[in-house]
Amino acid sequence: MNTFSQTVWLVPIYSLFGVLLALLWSPSLIRRTGPRPAGYVSLLLTSFALLHSVLALKEVWSSPIQFSVNWLHAANLDIAFDVEASATTVGALVVILSLNLLTQIYAIAYLEMDWGWARFYALIALFEAGMSALMLTNSLFFSYVMLEILTLGTYLLIGFWFNQSLVVTGARDGFLTKRVGDLILLMGVVALYPLAGTWNYDELTVWASTVDLDPTVATLLGLALLAGPLAKCAQFPLQLWLDEAMEGPMPATVLRNAVVVSTGAWVLIKMQPILNLSPVVVNAEIAIGAFTAVSCAAIALAQIDIKRVFSYATSSYLGVVFVAVGTGQQDAALMLLLTYAIAMALILMSVGGIILNNISQDITQLGGLWKRRPISGICFVVGALSLVAVPPLGCFWGLASIANGLSPLLLAVLLLVNGLTACSLARVFGLLFTGPVTDWTRRSPEGLWALVLPMTILLGFALHVPQSLAVLGLLPNLALVTQPATLLLMGSTLMGGGVGLFLYAFSTVSKPIRLPIPGVQDFLAYDFYTAQLYKVTVIAIVGFLAKAINWCDRVLVDGAVNLVGLLTLASGQSLKYNTNGQMQFYALSILLGTIFFGLILCYPLLSALH
Amino acid sequence: MLTPLLLIPLFGAIAIALYPKPQASRTIATIFSLVTLAWSLYLLSQFDLNIGEIQFTEFHRWIDPLGLNYSLGVDGLSLPLLALNGLLTIIALYTNRKDMERSRLHDSLILLINAGIAGALMSQNLLFFIIFYELELIPFYLLIAIWGGEKRGYASTKFILYTAVSGLLVLAAFLGITFLSHSPSFEFSDIAIDNLDLTSQLILLTALLIGFGIKIPLVPLHTWMPDTYVEASPSTTILLGGIFAKLGTYGLLRFGLQLFPATWHIISPSLAIIGTVSVIYGAMNAIAQRDIKRMVAYSSIGHMGYILVAAAAGTELSVLGAIAQMIAHGLILALLFFLVGIVEQTTGTRDLDVLNGLMNPIRGLPLTSGLLILAGMASAGIPGLVGFAAEFVVFQGSFATFPIPTLLCIFSSGLTAVYFVILINRTCFGKLDNVRAYYTRLTINDQWPALVLTAIVLFLGVQPNWLLRWMEPTTTTLVSELHAPAIVQIAEIDNSYR
Repeated sequence: MNTFSQTVWLVPIYSLFGVLLALLWSPSLIRRTGPRPAGYVSLLLTSFALLHSVLALKEVWSSPIQFSVNWLHAANLDIAFDVEASATTVGALVVILSLNLLTQIYAIAYLEMDWGWARFYALIALFEAGMSALMLTNSLFFSYVMLEILTLGTYLLIGFWFNQSLVVTGARDGFLTKRVGDLILLMGVVALYPLAGTWNYDELTVWASTVDLDPTVATLLGLALLAGPLAKCAQFPLQLWLDEAMEGPMPATVLRNAVVVSTGAWVLIKMQPILNLSPVVVNAEIAIGAFTAVSCAAIALAQIDIKRVFSYATSSYLGVVFVAVGTGQQDAALMLLLTYAIAMALILMSVGGIILNNISQDITQLGGLWKRRPISGICFVVGALSLVAVPPLGCFWGLASIANGLSPLLLAVLLLVNGLTACSLARVFGLLFTGPVTDWTRRSPEGLWALVLPMTILLGFALHVPQSLAVLGLLPNLALVTQPATLLLMGSTLMGGGVGLFLYAFSTVSKPIRLPIPGVQDFLAYDFYTAQLYKVTVIAIVGFLAKAINWCDRVLVDGAVNLVGLLTLASGQSLKYNTNGQMQFYALSILLGTIFFGLILCYPLLSALH
Repeated sequence: MLTPLLLIPLFGAIAIALYPKPQASRTIATIFSLVTLAWSLYLLSQFDLNIGEIQFTEFHRWIDPLGLNYSLGVDGLSLPLLALNGLLTIIALYTNRKDMERSRLHDSLILLINAGIAGALMSQNLLFFIIFYELELIPFYLLIAIWGGEKRGYASTKFILYTAVSGLLVLAAFLGITFLSHSPSFEFSDIAIDNLDLTSQLILLTALLIGFGIKIPLVPLHTWMPDTYVEASPSTTILLGGIFAKLGTYGLLRFGLQLFPATWHIISPSLAIIGTVSVIYGAMNAIAQRDIKRMVAYSSIGHMGYILVAAAAGTELSVLGAIAQMIAHGLILALLFFLVGIVEQTTGTRDLDVLNGLMNPIRGLPLTSGLLILAGMASAGIPGLVGFAAEFVVFQGSFATFPIPTLLCIFSSGLTAVYFVILINRTCFGKLDNVRAYYTRLTINDQWPALVLTAIVLFLGVQPNWLLRWMEPTTTTLVSELHAPAIVQIAEIDNSYR
């Protein structure tokens, strides 16, 4: 019996249905009940989807299945929605849907009084639908489609509180940055088909292993394909949008940072065989990943807005994933994505509760919360320990496997990233939970049940990650723990965390801490001035071109047309004065005209004269 | 089978004129156009998907010495457009009716337009086509000149001058085609283009290109269009952008690509360049606009450019994409203009710098804003909506022939996203102005045409096969004509040219 795995395509449909149902409560349709039923309906459908995928997971565990549904048939183009239901894809589905369910419960508390409730749940359901379909599909074309839908969802979710100006610009930048990546990916998708004749990942892998492609073509193709995950995973130089996306509501941030962004890496892993066709692309992938990982980890250390700290931590971790995928460690990368998602979601839920009733997101303004919010504190600590390499918790295994497969230079990068992240987590912990109570944190009780419940459930998940990995047989060989690279990694965690705690958890050093060179600190705090960089390059160029072309349109093109009209009028106006009644003038005109036309008629003869 | 599509709206126009109560005009018009739409849907159901040639033909001799016959027929190129014509007529009847004066004249003109466009799409005789092609200018002129905005005089004059020139050029080309090739009549099937040498073919095709290019419009022949679209009332604009402009691309495919397969090959690279320039030019201009209606008007130039690129590429897939894009663009543009019309009617302005925060659920226009976002995204080519399905087929089809122009078109669909984000961020997002925001409440009754269009846009986006299946046999036929004899013919023409 594999009823559930055969019908696994229903999972995204549940969520889509959730979108439509939730929209019924958005303004102007159903008013009488208030917007809350929208949330409950959405929760219910997510539970269905989760249940379905758990049942399907059981079935596909030993025997993965594939099938495809025709979507578009035109001329010589057949696009089918290829579904692959394997332990990996359905497993990812379960993780995503569980996090979605928890986040939706979390949102009940977080958005308790919000008037956009129905819209929020509809958009979260759209996210869910997009992500589930992305996990299930085995076709590059539909991966692109789902990434675009997630881009749209991101735009609308960031723009959730649309009457604040920062939100509006954040939404704009998020949408456009990701769209740039998506469209370059689309170019790759369009260009790939004539070469490979398929978009199915399995067939593409076979094709890539046999084809002999011109290096330039392979490089261009690979770079185009790389652009999609690059923008999605907020890698340099397209990392700014994730930072601005922090203007959106917290539950959406939890989802985005934990899973939505990771979907880019998922697609990257899937299309790695094609990228491998060109060494230039692979090197670019590793270089971008490494640079983003280090620089964003450093930037995170210089932020004072809690949400931004974690947006850069996200970019930084996905940078590590890029490096891992580039160096051929797909399984380790997948494991890191899984453990990272749980750890990041846990940290953000804990932080979100604090933001909700302390109003401020500025970590320099908060402090002394440990006694007031022990649950949030424990969640944060466990999340933080799971995020960096601390055995035996979550990300340790992924990071350790990756560390053992890297060249010394990249290993140094990984150690640096891990150390910096540990330091920045310790910094946030120190600033939030230790130190004196400030005016902002004087009254700070734990939140509503709906806020605490998903957080503590996730805490349980996070603590059980090592055990679950062992049960599922995903845990790497235990000999890994005593490898020198692993030991170095643990050392870097200890050192980074130690330095962070020393500086921020004990009042030995006066705060705020200034680096000896203020320029460097500002450079990090303002995110390498990327916003300004965009402003003077892309935005300026497009703005200038648009204005210039519009000027041409108004003045030159339309001007020429109006000039013709004007000349007609003017000549008519001036010619009318020629109607003066003088016989001789008319005769002269007739004569001149006759000569003129005569000359024209004689023109062929004239050329014969000489 | 096809005559009813001509006669029903004509009878409707007469009925409105004769019926004594002017306030009943819309009801009568709705009934007649619903019957027309139903008839075209019935034709769709009867359409034989295995035949790529003309179907449901009707032929009556009319003025024999001239070669003018009453000759109708449809194929997969014209039938979907006929259905679109019927749909948009009903939408136009329900657009922006507040304080409508002389509604009787207005509604009968709209029905006349329906008949005119249907006639042009169905006629299989070149002269018969021209009659309709020119005839529908009169109701459009009146609609713009009577119900237009402040500068309606300027706009309607510009419109009539431009489109009349378009008609003249097309007529001249048709006369040239028939007389120079010594065809026995103006019957489409009688035209034998093989008798023409390359030079005259090129000249005739250029005349057609300029003639239809004005209608589409292509850069730099477009300047009538922003003025006209902006000054005309929303209902007129929906018909202008949604279906009237499609006559240009229809003509180009029917009389350019289908009549001159060999020469089409020769000029197709330049066509692709003109198309790409239109695409980028339209998008760039749209970014610079401050008036939302003008912005949507410029967006139309960009999107029509895709059709030209696809038609130029001339692969089976790209021509299919071109026809699909006509329908998709007609639907999306109608939706956009409808919503912009609502915004203008309710807030009294179209200025991006004044509009703000319309998403506000209590005092704003939440449903309109939501639909506007969806329409903008459909136009920007977000998957799941019909715009993407059509554009993707265009891109995939054209890439094989013209890789660089196709990539530029994809790039430009990013620019589309830029101006729609500007539009949405300024109108829907932001803070509602407390002083201005005393808008009349809109009900579903005011907005159902938008909901209908949205539903179609969504449905065809999720199930693009329903859009493409009607066109496929015809495109196969069109393209086989384009490719099979083309190589031989070019060689022959080249020889004769030398």
